[in-house]
Amino acid sequence: MIIISPYSKALRNGKQNPKNYPYWRELIAQIKEPIIQIGIEGEEQLTPDFRKNLPIADLKALLRECRTWISCDSFFQHLAWSEGKPGISLWSVSDPLIFGHPQNINLLKSRKYLRENQFLWWELVEYNADAFVPPEVVLKNV
Amino acid sequence: MDKILCSVATRGRYFTTLPLVLNAIINQTRLPDKLIIFDDNDEPKDMRNEMLYQYFFQMLDIKGIKWEWLFAEKKGQHHIHQMANSMDFEWVWRVDDDAIPEPNVLESLALFIAPNVGAIGGAILTPPLLPTNTSTGHIANIDSENNIQWNFISTVKEVEHLHCSFLYRAGVHDYNLGLSRKAFREETLFTYGLFLKGYKLFVAPNANTWHFRNPEGGIRSEIKEEMFWHDEQIFRNTLNLSDRTIVVLNSGLGDHIVFSKILPEIKNPELFTCYPEVVPGRSIAEAQRLFGDIEPWNIYKKMDSWKWKDSLESAYRKLYL
Repeated sequence: MIIISPYSKALRNGKQNPKNYPYWRELIAQIKEPIIQIGIEGEEQLTPDFRKNLPIADLKALLRECRTWISCDSFFQHLAWSEGKPGISLWSVSDPLIFGHPQNINLLKSRKYLRENQFLWWELVEYNADAFVPPEVVLKNV
Repeated sequence: MDKILCSVATRGRYFTTLPLVLNAIINQTRLPDKLIIFDDNDEPKDMRNEMLYQYFFQMLDIKGIKWEWLFAEKKGQHHIHQMANSMDFEWVWRVDDDAIPEPNVLESLALFIAPNVGAIGGAILTPPLLPTNTSTGHIANIDSENNIQWNFISTVKEVEHLHCSFLYRAGVHDYNLGLSRKAFREETLFTYGLFLKGYKLFVAPNANTWHFRNPEGGIRSEIKEEMFWHDEQIFRNTLNLSDRTIVVLNSGLGDHIVFSKILPEIKNPELFTCYPEVVPGRSIAEAQRLFGDIEPWNIYKKMDSWKWKDSLESAYRKLYL
């Protein structure tokens, strides 16, 4: 079983969070094992098994059960690191050397897409789908 | 040699004590690398049109002291000092606009610059001088003794807080911006914060500044009793928790998870958090109420000011360990 954590926290201005991976549907279609999506109420359902608003303890239990996980740059990659469960983090404009963990597979298309100031509000950053690796690259690492 | 910025915050004293202060700065035996005048006047003027000030600006240019006249935001002098504190100088010599340093003050203070030193102050003399022969400069005695800087200082002494005008290491501790515009206790809170971070503070001999407490104008001229009590409460709250390492996690869930890795290494922590299920603690609102300003614990702001390239976990280590 694979866990996916597709979405980062919603922005206050209603815009798409620049950390959200744009090719989930294409990626999910090519994964040939059970997938559990985790997230919160209001997020788009991408898999039949979508578990919403799970407490931290339940997320930790799922991490122990899963073979691996795939996540955008959200709290989940930190939780998995904290639980000693390596997986795949999908990056775009935030720097995995600062916000990632070397124990994970950090897929960053190119450092040229990193935002100049890594610490500004996300509301000030424009979404750029081109900044992410394509699904094939993710699939090779699953 | 470490670069020294001299900062002067001024209000309502264009033609009284400010010219005396500027003259004294220009005639120091050890010159600052730059002088910034933070103009907090309600109706600021372009002083380049004033003959007296033209003389000062000429002297500054001839002596090679860079200078700048900045119009402040009228939020109080703590905001001005925090600006000076963040200007990438190693040291800041803060001088009040009615405090006139003798010519050797900066030179005498700068003698004590060392890697483990946070700030150095001299005598701040407001006649009639008060006796200070038993004063210790310890924060625990702040209510029971005259400030050690209120009379001539005969020998160097280690203290825990400083007053009025002093030379300090910039960029290692923040001014509390939660204080009122009056900013009562701002320099005590700031220098005691340097002390709590492990830096030594000294009072130095032969560094006399005459503080005339000009009754007109002044950066603190807006006096309201509620401002005094607001600031005093923040000061007392800080003192009451001075044996604890204050941790304020006003950030995301992931940040809490990363922080939790270093928590066991933090000595005597007092925690204020957003996700108590990950890091148990008191509320952020409570931190705001106790300390006025919680930005000094904003890890993102810190990483930005440090031009951080290392991991988030390392940033937390730098902030708290």
